[in-house]
Amino acid sequence: MADIAFLALAVITIGSAIAALEMRSLIYGSIALMGSLGGIAGFFLLLDAPFVALFQLAVYVGSIAVLILFTVMLVKRELIFNKIEDKRRKFAGIGLMLLIMVSLGAVFIDSGIKTITTDEPPVDFRDIGTDFVTYYWPALILMGLILASTVTGALVLARRVDVEDGQRTN
Amino acid sequence: MSVIAPNFKLSGFIKSLLDNIFWILLIFVLVGLPAVFMILFLVELPVIDGEILTPFLALSYLVNPTRTLPVLHAFLTTDIFRVMAFPGFGFAALLAASVIFIERKMMAKLQLRVGPFYCGKVEGILQLMGDGLKLISKEIIIPAKADKPIFWAAPVLFVATAAAFVALIPVAPGWVVADIDLGLLGVFAVIGFFPIITILSAWSANSKYPFIGGIRALFQMVSFEIPLILSLLGVVMLTGTLNLSEITESQANFPWIIFLPIGAIVFFITMLAELERIPFDLPEAESEIVAGWLTELSGMLYGLVQLGSYLKLYAFAALFVVLFLGGWNGPMIVPAFPEQIITEGIEMGPITLTVDGLGPLVHETITQEMLNGTLWFVLKTAGVIFFIILPRGVFPRVRVDLLLDLGWTKLIGLCFINIFIALGLLYAGVLGPGGLQ
Repeated sequence: MADIAFLALAVITIGSAIAALEMRSLIYGSIALMGSLGGIAGFFLLLDAPFVALFQLAVYVGSIAVLILFTVMLVKRELIFNKIEDKRRKFAGIGLMLLIMVSLGAVFIDSGIKTITTDEPPVDFRDIGTDFVTYYWPALILMGLILASTVTGALVLARRVDVEDGQRTN
Repeated sequence: MSVIAPNFKLSGFIKSLLDNIFWILLIFVLVGLPAVFMILFLVELPVIDGEILTPFLALSYLVNPTRTLPVLHAFLTTDIFRVMAFPGFGFAALLAASVIFIERKMMAKLQLRVGPFYCGKVEGILQLMGDGLKLISKEIIIPAKADKPIFWAAPVLFVATAAAFVALIPVAPGWVVADIDLGLLGVFAVIGFFPIITILSAWSANSKYPFIGGIRALFQMVSFEIPLILSLLGVVMLTGTLNLSEITESQANFPWIIFLPIGAIVFFITMLAELERIPFDLPEAESEIVAGWLTELSGMLYGLVQLGSYLKLYAFAALFVVLFLGGWNGPMIVPAFPEQIITEGIEMGPITLTVDGLGPLVHETITQEMLNGTLWFVLKTAGVIFFIILPRGVFPRVRVDLLLDLGWTKLIGLCFINIFIALGLLYAGVLGPGGLQ
């Protein structure tokens, strides 16, 4: 059962990733990207990590894909992209991708991942939280500081000073 | 009276209905029944308990409550019933439909108008049905340069997403479609889909008013998602769980709105913005941009979007009830099912009617707790929906920059105050282990 689900998810993820690259329409491309990210969320569900899966949906599909859609809709494509049809570049890209895939796959298969069998229940998110505030607390504080500084920086950058309306005559 | 059917008479309408029923029965008796019996010659009938299951026997099984109640009981516990009828789509759609009618009537009373009046003799009670029939029978017009697949898919996806949201809401103890461990995270994930569908629908119409409305909706929904999520963190900290049923159970003694009023207020405001209700109805501002992102939708596509948005309204109100008002918890006011009927049966003069299958049905499925919980849940949800509708008659629409300023600065600040209150309550020992709960 899990195998069928795995195959279907793999087809959805890879198929929509290729579609996201190859689609002529940028809007359809970003919809395909959404499908690809959703497929990855499905993989997390299959791996008994619903917490990560739901965050994948909420953050990647719900926010990042929306930002991409938003940008695509507000910008005229002809102004930013100058499409170069080049067969050699395409084949070089595909070859590079295959090379990386094969080498990464060889590393993974060689790492002994095939021999691991586990029947343990999925990790409770409360355990992850406990680990974060006990053993990994420096990492948590570092992440918190980085996020806080980025948010502050974004707010400072986005702050605008209202110019008094000069046309208004009181 | 209406000008469309000046000679309409209710008595004539009922007479025509009765006529139709008469003719259908007559044709069934003269043609249908002989046809059924002719077919029955060819069918090999099953044997149950040594008896051939003739149509007569099957009908007597059907009217025997001892035989039908277990079937009904089994059906009530199936997933299909949960998804289609009770805690799921049917229940929510019924509530949503009544909200549409009550909203129109209430707005009219607030503005000293009459509102729906003629349709259905009594206070326009059939107005909604009439509107629905009108929407179904209208032609669906698609703009010539629209992107057809997305234009068709967006309203359907909108309803589907709203239904997915409804599926996560626990209505009564044990009565929830999807009782997942990470229910609240699931809610956040589902809420994230609404702006995508809105902007895609707006873009696909290839028209300027929908596009402006869609961009506004996107701005509004995405920026209010952050205070929405932050305002609920206080409840999660106090309960230590993300499961909505467990959050409801934790409020058996007192609702969280007592301890986290700021969170509740912030969540209510963000709820208004996510639902595009007045005073935050910029995406559909009818006096500025026709009907916003709904402008080009017509016929049943518009009907689907309306259904979806009212389902969403119900789901948000229900989420508020579950998180802050204690969900199904409330004093027991539903009377217990008289035990005598199950044990001894109903005495009617010389006859005593005993029903065998009633015991499990009343004790396991439709229990007193379930009825009481549903009653309290619906009452609280109706109250919250009333407060969602009320601003429509009171407030004007706000400006876009004021809206974004409210979301990004004030509400997020209040959310953090709320989180610190929750943390303070936990560390001071008022709540949590060793405290009140």
